[in-house]
Amino acid sequence: MESTSTTALADLVRRAQKGDESAQRELVVSYQHRVAGFVYAMTGRSDYVEDLSQQVFIKMIRALDRLQAPAQFESWLFRLARNTCIDQLRRQKLRRIFLPFGEEHENIPEPPGAVDSEELDALRHALAQLRPQDRALLALVQEGRSHAEIAETLETSVAAVKARLHRAREHLREHYQPEHET
Amino acid sequence: MNTFASITNPNMKPEEHAWRELQEHASAQLRGGFADRVLRTARGPQDESWRALFAVGSRQLRPGFAERVLRAARAAADMPSLASQFALSAATAAVCLGAVLFVHHRSVEAADERNLAQWQEIVAVAHEDDAGAGL
Repeated sequence: MESTSTTALADLVRRAQKGDESAQRELVVSYQHRVAGFVYAMTGRSDYVEDLSQQVFIKMIRALDRLQAPAQFESWLFRLARNTCIDQLRRQKLRRIFLPFGEEHENIPEPPGAVDSEELDALRHALAQLRPQDRALLALVQEGRSHAEIAETLETSVAAVKARLHRAREHLREHYQPEHET
Repeated sequence: MNTFASITNPNMKPEEHAWRELQEHASAQLRGGFADRVLRTARGPQDESWRALFAVGSRQLRPGFAERVLRAARAAADMPSLASQFALSAATAAVCLGAVLFVHHRSVEAADERNLAQWQEIVAVAHEDDAGAGL
């Protein structure tokens, strides 16, 4: 069953690589919610989700013909998503350094009322305390990526991924406090 | 044993009363569900919280997202790439440089021809003068 869906995905990716617009559309529709969730977990900002997800899929369409192994499309797509989010967070940090009083709205955290439960609030708060790279690691695991795939994405070893993941989970637990004072 | 009972207990020492009151005051500060909150914090975020987080993100996309992405991708594809813009700039610069060199070469050539013609005139006049003086 698993291999059937993998084959179907690889076929879809091959059609999209040849410029078939309906295949490209199908890929976007299939992955848009997962990518949007990943972007939100990475940035913690709902106003970034649409824009960054759009950037990810535009990059996907433009770079699709360079993807050598269509079966590895998912991990490749989430690598694009990770890099796009990290670039955005880096740009945002630089902008804060050079324009400390400029775009103040960028520093406003998501209002607590915008999320559903206190545990969700606590998770967002805890994630915001982590480095973007650690956030990406945890979000990739939640996305279902294997340690080997993450190691390939980060160009490192599986052992290093496990160690970094352990540390990231520790940090997350340190900052995770449901009903924290906001 | 409640506060009243402990205060009214004649066998209890005054410092024991004080300790008991302190404990009761402190425990009154804890809100309901304290143990659950402690356990939740110790366990860390559960999968449901992660799922909820991803679900919040996925709800942020407006309807028609895929169409907007494809339109934007088409528009981006129509725009010349950075490499082609660079190539065009380089070709334009090369043509301009060639034109400048050509014009410069032509003007130098014309000046040389003019100078040579003038020089030949001077030589001819000098020959005529020499011939006249020889007579």
